[in-house]
Amino acid sequence: MSLIGKGILKGMGVTAKNFFQSYYRKERLPTVEYPEEKATINQFSRNFPFLLYDGDDPVDGMRCTACTLCERACPPQCIYIIKDKDENGKAILSPRIFDIDTSVCMSCQLCVEVCPYEAIRMDSAFELSNENRFEGLLLNREELLKPNAYYHEIHPLEARETDDRMAAKAALAEAKKKARQKRARLAAKNKPPPGLKKTPPTRKKPPQREKSE
Amino acid sequence: MIVAFYLLALIAVLGAGLAITLRNVVHAVFSVLLFFSALAGLFLLLLAEFIAAVQVLVYIGSVGILMLFAIMLTTNVVGDPNRPVQSRGWVWGGLAVVALLAGVLLPIISRTGGQSPTPLSDFNPSVKQLGLVLMDPYFASLGVIALLLTAGLIGAVVAATGASEADQAKTVPENRPRFPNN
Amino acid sequence: MNNYFDLKLVELGRWIEAFFAHYPTLKLVVHLLLCTLPLALSFMGAFAFTTWLERKGLARIQNRPGPNRVGLFGLLQPIADGIKMLLKEDIVPERSDKLFHFLAPIMLMIPAMIGVGFLPLGDGLHALPLDSAIIFFFAISSLNTIAVFMAGWSSRNKYSLLGGMRAVAQMISYEIPLVLSAVAVIMMAGSLNAQEVVASQQISSWVGSGNILQEFFGRILGWNVFKPWGFAGFIFFFIAALAEANRSPFDLPEADSEIIAGHLTEYSGFKYAILFMGEYISAFAIAGIGVTLFLGGWNGPVFAGLPWFVLKLFSLFAVMIWIRGTLPRLRVDQLMGYAWKFLFPLAILNIFLAGFYHFLERQWGTAIAMLAGWLFGFGALQLAAIALSRLNQSPTIRSKRVYQLVE
Ligand code: SF4
Ligand code: SF4
Repeated sequence: MSLIGKGILKGMGVTAKNFFQSYYRKERLPTVEYPEEKATINQFSRNFPFLLYDGDDPVDGMRCTACTLCERACPPQCIYIIKDKDENGKAILSPRIFDIDTSVCMSCQLCVEVCPYEAIRMDSAFELSNENRFEGLLLNREELLKPNAYYHEIHPLEARETDDRMAAKAALAEAKKKARQKRARLAAKNKPPPGLKKTPPTRKKPPQREKSE
Repeated sequence: MIVAFYLLALIAVLGAGLAITLRNVVHAVFSVLLFFSALAGLFLLLLAEFIAAVQVLVYIGSVGILMLFAIMLTTNVVGDPNRPVQSRGWVWGGLAVVALLAGVLLPIISRTGGQSPTPLSDFNPSVKQLGLVLMDPYFASLGVIALLLTAGLIGAVVAATGASEADQAKTVPENRPRFPNN
Repeated sequence: MNNYFDLKLVELGRWIEAFFAHYPTLKLVVHLLLCTLPLALSFMGAFAFTTWLERKGLARIQNRPGPNRVGLFGLLQPIADGIKMLLKEDIVPERSDKLFHFLAPIMLMIPAMIGVGFLPLGDGLHALPLDSAIIFFFAISSLNTIAVFMAGWSSRNKYSLLGGMRAVAQMISYEIPLVLSAVAVIMMAGSLNAQEVVASQQISSWVGSGNILQEFFGRILGWNVFKPWGFAGFIFFFIAALAEANRSPFDLPEADSEIIAGHLTEYSGFKYAILFMGEYISAFAIAGIGVTLFLGGWNGPVFAGLPWFVLKLFSLFAVMIWIRGTLPRLRVDQLMGYAWKFLFPLAILNIFLAGFYHFLERQWGTAIAMLAGWLFGFGALQLAAIALSRLNQSPTIRSKRVYQLVE
């Protein structure tokens, strides 16, 4: 046995080190003082979904086609969609009402997974507290719509991937369209050369989006 | 001075009276403590600071706490309020108290003749004098008491240290309770 | 120039009293008020400041910034807390002993405040300059126990009762090493008078000499902590004082992880605030008597008097906070064993050591006494401590452990 009280002195040394170093070393005082200073958000964090739009006008550039896949996929059923109609009563491919009740949403991301149009994504905004208990947390279409640039800001990796995929899809659609036109032109010429029937050049065929999700 | 004396005397008598009449034991102990503190105040009035301090330290700080500690663990401190306390011997008790009081007071009264004695002019009580008195004429008795107390303390320490290592190591493993299904 | 502050304060008091010179009764009242009111107010202020200090210090130890919203560095936090406490509802349990429940906070405040009065805050700044101030201080501070008992018993709550029981047991046990370690000082100073104890902690041949260096160090090196018995005594005293003041690591009576808040459980609102304040002020009082007995009281170079006393008091309290941030709480059995089987014999031994030192000093002078005291005295204490801790170790059972449910 060594000097009585050595362990206590050692412990006191540790706490003293914590005390003094908290004044000049960042890792000894990791507190982020919230209202003045915000914590850095990890780009893979998520809480509630939002709707994406392209271009400048939120409603015109809306990607959502009101296919209601997400509405049907949502486990707590917190998405509410009503399709838009034109003057003649014909359905338009965009929602007139698109509400998400964030007090019910459980942040499962299923809506994002099912959306075929890359129109809905998870947001990472967290200051959602509200004075109105009932309506305040029910976000409507205008509140949900956010530009693609915002998406790039909060989830850069994911957004780039989405953009690439959309570009590839668009390219594929373009190529298909061209091929169809070509075939149509060939058919119009009415000279089907049996040996020349080959598929259009698909040099940059991107990997198809996996549908397993 | 006189006012303070009567006030303290009143408190002392009140505390003592309450201590024997209250039905709640804890309250009774606290009135005893009240009595003790009034007594300490009276000592202070007599300029016997040391005695006053010891009165507080020993009677309130130790004896009172000891009583409280014992009573704290009793579940029923109040008792049945409907049952009157009856004691056949209260007359004798009262007489004994009166006799005791008279035995103490009468000689004093007779000696002073009912007049308060003239205050001493060069009275200088101090702890130093107390210490000198204790260390000079009463040294032998003080030493004996100190020795007794030390012996008691050492005994207490030895008693508190408990059984020796060998004893405990021997007894513990065999006496372990075993589960019936094992 | 040394006692400048104290002299000025005493002068100020005289000056105020002089206004009432023609009315003796009024003068007495004013005198009493001057003795008590500033003391009470300043210690309440110190209490407020200490709560802030404690929260800040603990926070920094735990890598947090601590309160920093109300006022600069959160300095107004105690005021905000006070307002909050005042506005809260005062809840008295239905089946509690209402009278005692009400009296307990008062009973805690009274001895705490009287105890503070016995402290010699400076040269001539002494509210109760009794000849036996030190023993009176210990007598009064033992009354704390009664208040804690009252609070614990009257609440009619099992946690309160447990806390009260623990408090009483702990306070009784630790009072003995506390007083015994003070006895060594009293013995060496040859007086129970607090001012004389303070005066004994100057190297008197140096202080009056006029040599600047000697003046400076004569007011420091004479402190009792710098003597072998004083150092050991100070450590014992400090440990016992922590327990007396119910401060961590001896905060078993309020162990919030075990018994909610002990005797404070059923208190709310202003009564709780008063109880809390009473505990802090009695902690102050005990720290103050520690300063008086071991740390030279108001002795110190340059600004002897009140500034030094305040500085020492707060440093001692800072150490208490530091300890609170470091050490875990003791177990109940460890607590009692520590007081009776470890601290108590060592404190007695320390009294002998002090006597030995005194004898050596008389015989051969201070230097040799110091040397021998530090060497042999400390060797003896260390050996005794080791022996005691060996003796007190619970017997280790070396037989193989049987895990009944595993097999
Ligand atoms: S994240 Fe889940 S719960 Fe929330 S809206 Fe999407 S599918 Fe519904
Ligand atoms: S967000 Fe996507 S899945 Fe939901 S309705 Fe719009 S397009 Fe369909």
